[in-house]
Amino acid sequence: MDIIESKSWVEWLITIAKFAFCFVPVLYILLLIPMERRGAGFMQDRQGPNRSYIKIPYFGKIRLLGYVQNMCDGAKLFFKEMFAPKGVSKFLYYVAPAIPFAIIFISPCVIPWFGPMVFEWGGKAVTISGAILDSEVGILLLFGFSSLSAYGAVLAGWASKSKYSYLGSLRTTAMTVSYEVCQGISMMGLLVLAGSFSLTDIVSWQEQHVWGIVAQPVAFFCFLIATIAETGRAPFDVAEGDPELVAGFHTEYGAMHFGMFYMGEYAHICIASFLVATLFLGGYSVPFVTTETMQAHMGGSLAILCGVLAFLFLAFLHMMHRYSKKLLASKQSNKMVILQEYKLYKIVGWLAVAVFVAAGVCSWMFYNPVQTVVDGVLTNTLGAALGTALIHLLVLVVKSVFFCWVWIWVRWTLPRFRYDHIMNLGWKIILNIALVNLVVTAVVAKLLGGN
Amino acid sequence: MLALIYFIILGVIAVGSALCVLLSKHPLYGALSLVVSMLSLAGIYGLLGSPFIGVVQIMVYAGAIIMLLTFVIMVLNAGRDSKTPRFDKVSLFVIPAAIVLAGLVGFVMVRSGIAFDATTLRGSVKLTSETLFNTAQEGPGYFVLFEVIGLLLLSSMGAAVLMAKKRLGTDNEEEK
Repeated sequence: MDIIESKSWVEWLITIAKFAFCFVPVLYILLLIPMERRGAGFMQDRQGPNRSYIKIPYFGKIRLLGYVQNMCDGAKLFFKEMFAPKGVSKFLYYVAPAIPFAIIFISPCVIPWFGPMVFEWGGKAVTISGAILDSEVGILLLFGFSSLSAYGAVLAGWASKSKYSYLGSLRTTAMTVSYEVCQGISMMGLLVLAGSFSLTDIVSWQEQHVWGIVAQPVAFFCFLIATIAETGRAPFDVAEGDPELVAGFHTEYGAMHFGMFYMGEYAHICIASFLVATLFLGGYSVPFVTTETMQAHMGGSLAILCGVLAFLFLAFLHMMHRYSKKLLASKQSNKMVILQEYKLYKIVGWLAVAVFVAAGVCSWMFYNPVQTVVDGVLTNTLGAALGTALIHLLVLVVKSVFFCWVWIWVRWTLPRFRYDHIMNLGWKIILNIALVNLVVTAVVAKLLGGN
Repeated sequence: MLALIYFIILGVIAVGSALCVLLSKHPLYGALSLVVSMLSLAGIYGLLGSPFIGVVQIMVYAGAIIMLLTFVIMVLNAGRDSKTPRFDKVSLFVIPAAIVLAGLVGFVMVRSGIAFDATTLRGSVKLTSETLFNTAQEGPGYFVLFEVIGLLLLSSMGAAVLMAKKRLGTDNEEEK
């Protein structure tokens, strides 16, 4: 078998292991649902749902900062009976929720999760790209999938045979088609600068020059607005606006059918925030530090990473300490139960701090991989390459989580737009700004002697 | 070998869903089969070494045009659609035309032995853009056609807007 022998086993292992990134959006659902609920609570000056608990014998109740509530809701959705109302067209009714949910598994395949790994193995220089599928048309593929996921909403609305669902799906169609245009054109300026459709090339261009948000500030805002509209969230959620349409296209759905739409929406936010971070915030690149510097001082970089993580846990511990102090002074009846729970978090937090500090010191003192030149390419050891990939991945995750927060922030801050306002905003304002931006970018790039 | 297996799978899906377009009773199911057919066609383009064309197929046809088509199907004559007969007088012309076309294409394909080689890149982004925008004097001059088509589309869009505007002049509430 020529194909199998063309790569060494380490290359195959990493190539196959990269497919695990397909599940990142699903993991983000687990992150985003509590983030949205507690975030909404934070915005509205209340606690958010955090009352459910797991009782552990001899210890007490733990609520995992409200996470148990989400597990309960998930379990409820999962075990509910699935039903179809009378008169729906059965096939499409059952297929529709699966479309957006299936697409979230194939969308992450073109996002570069880390920089190209270059390492030495068996006397040869090995290069592995950071995306599962390093295609030269990466970004277009992502847009294609994103536009396909709207079929879920459209078919659900039609198959439900209900007026509300139907109106919701009509609105979804119109909004998706119009905002896709804005999204595509506002991103074109950056593509002109980077001179490629490949997301890996776009990120490496940003790494060498400036971040997209500095080069294309106008395009960034147009793109962000169009992407929020594309995910169909407030203030653009006319497709499921509850004062007008009950719940829009998923009015007739219950149990896990509804759950799939719900998860599809959150996963769509995840992919969109990864896309914004990759296009405009430098993707996996670490600010102010080039990958070469990082690889030359691998032990120090890993030590800094461990330090940052330890600092985050210290901040968490400080938060716990403040909460406990406030709780002790209050007259809440169940305060001893909660304090018992906080004790557990404090133990975990201190353990994590100790582990990260120890790991950081060890990597700083003892980990100093050498770089070798193989076949005229500067390569690292496998460990250093994996370390770089880890740092890149964590940086990308931080950037995307920030944008996930922007989604929640916008949703709970702005009021919902009226339908015709949305259409006006899309076609008459954002599209024109994006077009002007594209023309100006192209002219300036040509005059300054770009590609 | 692997590419051939993929090709056969995608080809069967493409032909099967294209038949479904003809045979499905409700136009919406027809449009959906068309989407499936286009997606598998995009896969075949990718196999043939032109990923750009394949992705544009997904983005433009499957994502946008058929989406608008389903929009139109859903809005217009929703009640009448489920009673449309599968064959009517128009079929007398359509079916022979389809059969003759299939025969012609099959004949051509059998006569010219197509070498299926998945490794050559026929339509990469670079190749497409270089061919399309080759402004050299002795070049193929496709860019002129490109500009003309752009103008044509712009004028047709203007005409459509004008026609819609005339009808909207009397009734501002209806924005469809």
